[in-house]
Amino acid sequence: MNPLRDAGADLRQAARGWRWGHRPLVPRSAEAQVPPAPPATGFPTAWSRTPAGRAAREIAQKAALEPVFRSQVRTRVEGLDVLDGLDGPVIFVANHASHLDTPLVLLSLPDAWRRRTAVAAAADYFFDTWWRAVGSALVFNTFPLDRRTGTGVSTLTGVLADGWNVLVFPEGTRSLDGYVGRFQLGAAHLAVRHGVPVVPIAHRGTFAAMPRGASWPGRGRRQLSVRLGTPLRPAPEESPRAFAPRVREAVAALLDEDASTWWEARRRAAAGRTPDPAGPDVAAWRRVWAQTAPVEVDRPRNAWQR
Amino acid sequence: MRALEMYRSVPRTVAARAVGGRAAGLVSGWAPLRLTSRDEPVVPQPGWVRLRSRLAGICGSDLGALSGRSSFYFSGLVSMPFVPGHEVVADLLDDCEGLPAGSRVVVDPVLGCAARGVEPCAACAAGHTNRCASVTTGHLRPGLQTGFCADTGGGWGQVLAAHRSQLHAVPDDVPDEQAVLTEPVACAVHTALRAQVPEQGRVLVSGAGTVGLLATLALRALTPAAEIVVVAKHPRQAEAARRCGATTVVAPGEVLRRVRRSTGAFAVRPEFAAPYLLGGVDVAIDAVGSRQSLQTALRSTRAGGRVVLSGMPASADLSAAWFRELEIVGTYASAQREEAAGGRGAFELAGELVRGEVVAELARGVVGYPLDRFHEALDHAAGAGSLGAVKVAFDLRSRR
Amino acid sequence: MSRPGLVLEVDERTPPLVVHDGEGFRLESFPLGTRALYPPESLPALPDLDAAIRDALLHPLDADPLPSKLRPGMRLTIAFDDVSLPLPPMRAPDVRQRVIEAVLTMAADAGVDDVALIAANALHRRMTDAELRHAVGERVFRSFHPQGLLVNHDAEDRANLVHVGVTDRGEDVEINRRAAESDLLVYVNINLVAMDGGHKSVPVGLASYNSLRHHHNAKTMVASHSFMDHEASHLHHSAWRMGRMLAEHLDIFQIETTLNQDIFPSAYEFLQKREWEWSLRDQASMLGLRRGLALAPERLRHKMFHDMRSAYGVTGVNAGAVEPVHERTIAAVHRQQLVEVNGQTDVLVMGVPYLGPYNVDSVMNPILATCMGLGYFFNSYRGSPLVRRGGAVILYHPLQPHFHQVHHPSYVDFYEEVLTESTDPLVIEEKYERQFATDPWYIHLYRTSHAYHGVHPFYMWYWAAHGMDHVGDVIWVGGDRRAAQRLGFRAASSLADALEMASGTVGSDPSITYLHNAPHLLADVR
Repeated sequence: MNPLRDAGADLRQAARGWRWGHRPLVPRSAEAQVPPAPPATGFPTAWSRTPAGRAAREIAQKAALEPVFRSQVRTRVEGLDVLDGLDGPVIFVANHASHLDTPLVLLSLPDAWRRRTAVAAAADYFFDTWWRAVGSALVFNTFPLDRRTGTGVSTLTGVLADGWNVLVFPEGTRSLDGYVGRFQLGAAHLAVRHGVPVVPIAHRGTFAAMPRGASWPGRGRRQLSVRLGTPLRPAPEESPRAFAPRVREAVAALLDEDASTWWEARRRAAAGRTPDPAGPDVAAWRRVWAQTAPVEVDRPRNAWQR
Repeated sequence: MRALEMYRSVPRTVAARAVGGRAAGLVSGWAPLRLTSRDEPVVPQPGWVRLRSRLAGICGSDLGALSGRSSFYFSGLVSMPFVPGHEVVADLLDDCEGLPAGSRVVVDPVLGCAARGVEPCAACAAGHTNRCASVTTGHLRPGLQTGFCADTGGGWGQVLAAHRSQLHAVPDDVPDEQAVLTEPVACAVHTALRAQVPEQGRVLVSGAGTVGLLATLALRALTPAAEIVVVAKHPRQAEAARRCGATTVVAPGEVLRRVRRSTGAFAVRPEFAAPYLLGGVDVAIDAVGSRQSLQTALRSTRAGGRVVLSGMPASADLSAAWFRELEIVGTYASAQREEAAGGRGAFELAGELVRGEVVAELARGVVGYPLDRFHEALDHAAGAGSLGAVKVAFDLRSRR
Repeated sequence: MSRPGLVLEVDERTPPLVVHDGEGFRLESFPLGTRALYPPESLPALPDLDAAIRDALLHPLDADPLPSKLRPGMRLTIAFDDVSLPLPPMRAPDVRQRVIEAVLTMAADAGVDDVALIAANALHRRMTDAELRHAVGERVFRSFHPQGLLVNHDAEDRANLVHVGVTDRGEDVEINRRAAESDLLVYVNINLVAMDGGHKSVPVGLASYNSLRHHHNAKTMVASHSFMDHEASHLHHSAWRMGRMLAEHLDIFQIETTLNQDIFPSAYEFLQKREWEWSLRDQASMLGLRRGLALAPERLRHKMFHDMRSAYGVTGVNAGAVEPVHERTIAAVHRQQLVEVNGQTDVLVMGVPYLGPYNVDSVMNPILATCMGLGYFFNSYRGSPLVRRGGAVILYHPLQPHFHQVHHPSYVDFYEEVLTESTDPLVIEEKYERQFATDPWYIHLYRTSHAYHGVHPFYMWYWAAHGMDHVGDVIWVGGDRRAAQRLGFRAASSLADALEMASGTVGSDPSITYLHNAPHLLADVR
């Protein structure tokens, strides 16, 4: 009876039996009784918005996230001036193609805005294990939002009410090929209910730099671009169902503008010919091909270069 | 002749006593016992003969004396140095009245008036030789028995001296191993008769060593006891106790409960003391001689019952004896005339029991040692119960 | 929503399963293919218990509302289940307290003066004052106990027993005089398992040895298949006959309550979860508890377990005539505990926990452990036994031959004296039962101390008689070898050894079923 040895035996048994370091499994015969996954929104994230949490995040973002991010990609940010007339809170709505989107948007915002911005994250992905939940809440200020049922909206409401800006990816998931998918109504709903302005954000290049399945940006410091658009406010009596398409159109127009010029995009928009951000109905490889083309940006010319 | 000799040694006695426990003193070799060559004992008086020891048992009282646990009460009744051994089977070396030389005999160790050559005291005259008043006088130096007297020698030496009155012939068909149990059986007979068990009486025998087993045997054979509860520590003892006639065999921790159950008595649990019964057995026999065993006997005997001390007793709380009006009865050795058996001698009765099947079976548990391995023998005797021996003896027969 | 019962088949993905093992538990990796039976998850408790009780009393089944039965000058007796229920004891307030308070409120409103309360402990030990106070509540205790109107039933008090009559099968019906001579007898029950309640309440709980011996005997118990199914249990048939006879003489108002499965308090919560659903925290509490128990001295371990109080929720309250009430009660118990199982098994594995009905605040001695394993758990079936005839039963319990000096005096003697002679219930009954039942000392302790009656260990042994009769081999994992031998069983150091030992009876590749109990479950074997 050696207590240490017994404790070791217990630990080994538990580690093996419950597959520590792996996903827990359900015995085959018990699968019929697996309850529908409980909305995993129970994870508390309020701590990450306390002063201590904010201080820790500032360090994490400025000392770790930003240097690493900038070492891997190049960015160009346009349209920050739209924020000048606002004093929050706002809902940032962006297209979603990559895990780079969140750091890209956050690091593109002016510091004062960045510090006051929380991110709605998929509860089933970012909050399924405690360590992922703690990590993302600390670094990105995420809170869980169930992408199918919308459970967690109460947290979102609370976060808005506390004066935080919220970044929402209304597609609910990362794009498979870089094109923009259907927008869910959540963000529009909130904007309508609480009368919060929506700032559309379009970005390009993250799909090419780090698509689904990749865990690190590709080599070669790819170019990303971000463009913020004029805030949209729901008209009185406007329903979320009517407002959501407007938001999507705004994002589509920004994408168009980013790829061409403001004037051309404007004109196409006026004519109703803004290219569908969902992309052309062509073979899958051509869609991916188009989206992985390097982002062309007009670099400010070096004064000494001719 | 070669013999084991117990001598006077204050430091050894004190040391053995201090170490405590019967075994500890013996094992560590502090017992004041040595193997020596000494002259054969001769008692130049009529009726005395020489015997050549064949097999001589080690008795609990021997171990008590050697380990210094015996009461100093007995120090006035022995003469040092002496050769121990009072459970003896021997060959007669000299002729004497009625017994030719070469006869096999067992020895009644009690040295009464007849052996000492003095006028019979009142006890001896009545045949109660074990109660003799003359154990310190006469031809011999003091010694309550053969094996405690410097003049007679004892069974643990090659030759000893004995008086005709002590000798009992052994029939040829009884092997030495059985015959060596005659003396203990005689004591057991005496114990059983002293117990005065009533008709259908219930008896508790505390202890299942040689004394307890043989007492059980004698109780079953000679008394009307209906129920005999024997306390046995070891499995082999329990088995033997059943063969000897026990109706119930219990472990030491179970005694009180079992007696209570079988007698329907009430138990009392006093504060700061062990529980006892109001009611219980008619007769309890302490066949161990430990404080624990005597207490058990006292606590489980009904009011007006009898507690028999067989084996040298230890001190105990006598409250129960007072409150329950118990008769405390001593039994020492055996008498030549047992009143309760119609005046027959204990050895005569014992002789009959010894020839029986049960003793023959028990005799298989007799273990012999040569004299020079006496440390081993004593150690074995001290642990006889757990080691499964009924009797450990010195085997002085010539080696084949 | 609580999920129904489950028959798990152990596969490669299954973590080790908890097996209760006296004052502790083990984690056992069962052979692949072992079936493990889990009871349905805890059902939701009644949201407003007091309202439910009032409703049951005002709208009883096949009886007039309780208030209409109460009138000034009447003699009202309230009997209630004793300390053997529920297990573990319920966190205060006990449901008996809630029901009795409701009954007394109505009695006070109706102006009833002559009221007495009796714990229906039959031949069980008397409840201590503290236990009575816990069961009925401080208010009831204070109002009745000092006047001697809140008492334990005394099955040996000749002056306070009445021989009511004899059933058509010649069974004596002898019960508490006060109860029998009341104008109304209200019985407050806790129906923890399917065996309890119905006509087992009054005719058994308030009976004397003279009456109990007609059904508490080896012959009846061997033929009770099982005593968890009152329709198939000879024990219950006898009690039912007695109950029906009593009902002709006595107005009995039965109140039965059923509980859910919230047995383990939060620190031990993992014990009632299914192992593969344990969170890291559950695993950590398990490891911590295992280490704590290994290091804790025996007294502390004993205290940790016996101080456990369950947060049982009440799932139903039914009142009125005994039989319709019991029918509803049994339905509720089945909802909570029934698991459907297909076919019998060669080897049945069961873990005997620290507690059974007869060692509340006491010691689970080897006889009680046997009763728990081969009696209660083995009989947790409906239809046919879980294990096939001649199969093997493997039990987990340390089987230390420790006995509570105050509670179980006759058990020690039974263990030391009777079991050394024989372990056959019929032989034991024939030779010893009478002696133990009439031993004046045991009777004295039963009446004045807190001892189980002298005959009680025999009942425990009869309880296990059906199991012993049915199975071929009984092996205790981790059991004291000598104790197991004394009981007529064998001991093994591990499950693998036990299976090896059983291979002589059931072959080397037997089908194995593990009864994952507690929480309580009842197997419905098809």
